[in-house]
Amino acid sequence: MTMRILTAVVRTIRNSRRLAAGLIILGVMVLLALFSPLIVNAIGNGKDPIEVAAYEKWLVPGPGHLLGTDQFGRDVFAMVMKALSVSLQIGAIAGIISTVVGVIVAFVAGYKGGWIDGILSTFTGILLVIPTFPLLIALSAYAKNVTLFQVGVMISIFAWPFAAKTIRSQVLSLRTRPYVDLARVSKARDLEIIVTELLPNLLPFIGVGFASSALGAIFGLVGLEVIGLGPGGVVDLGQIIYNAITTGALTLGAWPMFVVPIVLLTLLFAALNMVNIGLEEVYNPRLRGVAGE
Amino acid sequence: MKSELELRGVQQRFHARGVADGYITAVDDVSFSLAASPPQIISLVGQSGSGKSTIARNVLGLQKPTAGSVLYGGKDIFKLSRAEYDEYRRDVQPVFQDPYAIFNPFYRVDRVLWKAVQKFKLASTRAAGLELIEESLRAVRLEPENVLGRYPHQLSGGQRQRIMLARVHMLRPSFIIADEPVSMLDAQVRRHFLDILLDFQTEHGMTTLFITHDLSTVYYLGGEVMVITKGQIVERGPVSTVMHEPSHPYTKLLLDSIPQPDPDQRWTTRIAVDELERVDDANPADTMKPEAPIL
Ligand SMILES: Nc1ncnc2c1ncn2[C@@H]1O[C@H](COP(=O)(O)OP(=O)(O)OP(=O)(O)O)[C@@H](O)[C@H]1O
Ligand SMILES: [Mg+2]
Repeated sequence: MTMRILTAVVRTIRNSRRLAAGLIILGVMVLLALFSPLIVNAIGNGKDPIEVAAYEKWLVPGPGHLLGTDQFGRDVFAMVMKALSVSLQIGAIAGIISTVVGVIVAFVAGYKGGWIDGILSTFTGILLVIPTFPLLIALSAYAKNVTLFQVGVMISIFAWPFAAKTIRSQVLSLRTRPYVDLARVSKARDLEIIVTELLPNLLPFIGVGFASSALGAIFGLVGLEVIGLGPGGVVDLGQIIYNAITTGALTLGAWPMFVVPIVLLTLLFAALNMVNIGLEEVYNPRLRGVAGE
Repeated sequence: MKSELELRGVQQRFHARGVADGYITAVDDVSFSLAASPPQIISLVGQSGSGKSTIARNVLGLQKPTAGSVLYGGKDIFKLSRAEYDEYRRDVQPVFQDPYAIFNPFYRVDRVLWKAVQKFKLASTRAAGLELIEESLRAVRLEPENVLGRYPHQLSGGQRQRIMLARVHMLRPSFIIADEPVSMLDAQVRRHFLDILLDFQTEHGMTTLFITHDLSTVYYLGGEVMVITKGQIVERGPVSTVMHEPSHPYTKLLLDSIPQPDPDQRWTTRIAVDELERVDDANPADTMKPEAPIL
């Protein structure tokens, strides 16, 4: 079955350029993030380039510091690399948590139906209409010294209902398929049906759920940082933008501090959206793609 | 194996919007029984929306009736002990209408056969399982090498439907619940399929509940027939009697609506639409699952 999933994935990617492009951009960024410690080390050349007063303040971009330094004399290129990996991590953490929670809730609600579905759907519905951002702001006002993981969990609380809603409606349409009935008369149990009959056909939707929540989380954190309410001790791309704005970096010739994070975020946004749209393109309205050769 | 499958006053209602009392009654006080011996074929014929599939789902234990009961060996199928349930599952098996939707598009067609081997412990080794599968495929006149290892969309509807028959052949249930199994097949393949069902009856002693809207297949199969309309069984008896001396007006209407192949007897009388009008088929998923209320 793992092989089946792999071949299905490969075929899906071949079927959509958009999906492929999105995944490539994403892959490059993930690689950069994975190697960011090495890159940061190389830039520091023995010392920590993002230590306060590592270099002179406000150095303009040049051979020594490709993107210059900031108000504390930290190397901007090194900071951006590190921040990129933080942003991606928050996306991954929140994406995984929201997707797992969303998938579980969606499957229980969609498959079991009845009052269980009623309660779960009402709950999801409430979370969906709560204005998320103000609440995040309120929450982060309390959470000054939180870890990256905790921020991820915080954001996930608001992100999972989106995944749950999309996947539930798919479960509803799949669970009345004849092959589910056939599995039932073959003595398959509910959990087995969910995992082996429904889940594989829902992979693309789960992918969409993951990409959307990751995107939401990354930009949620950027949003918090940009208005200066980010949790302490976490330097993501938004934090660098915030620094650039508050210190007037643009007027001091330190434009990369502002421009580079924004370009990276735009790329990330574009890549995740291409993945989303690509998946939907391949699988909607019919699930034909999975059926494949 | 238990020798009888019985429906006793089965009623199935569904919530529906836009209906007078908020319910539609898909199956209304239906009682009949199927005996394993002597093996027989009983047809259940009725127009679209008359409740045929719902009865099949009730009998297969896929849908619990709102009233009445389905008895297997005299016991309510929803109250069986573990062992009894296992026996019931093995002994009452379906063939469904849509030969494509019955396969999960994600897997090769072999999987439904292997699942049967595995779940019902038909063989203890892989080799024995494969032998069984190949034997059953040949019994429904399929060449194993032409179908095994393929995905559902690579096979024709007739081949797919015969794989379902091969599955039944492996399980040797006493009862086959066949819900419009040939309605999506062309005439030649259809006949082929019906012949296999008849073989199963004579060679393996299987009793079939054959659900259809098509009287010509009923005629071909022979045996007993029950006529259903609006969830109620209005007439039953041997096929020849019901076909030649229909007693219920609905049966007459149904017989009249068959196009005659005789050119001198062209199909001229129009069917009164309101008489054949089906209960509106609101999307079941829609009716059952109102969207989450947005607060
Ligand atoms: N799960 C469900 N929820 C709501 N209504 C349903 C459900 N299943 C069936 N119905 C309704 O019950 C009635 C009988 O449906 P059923 O599928 O049993 O008819 P049928 O005789 O099999 O028709 P066909 O020949 O078209 O297959 C229809 O009006 C249908 O809309
Ligand atoms: Mg039907």
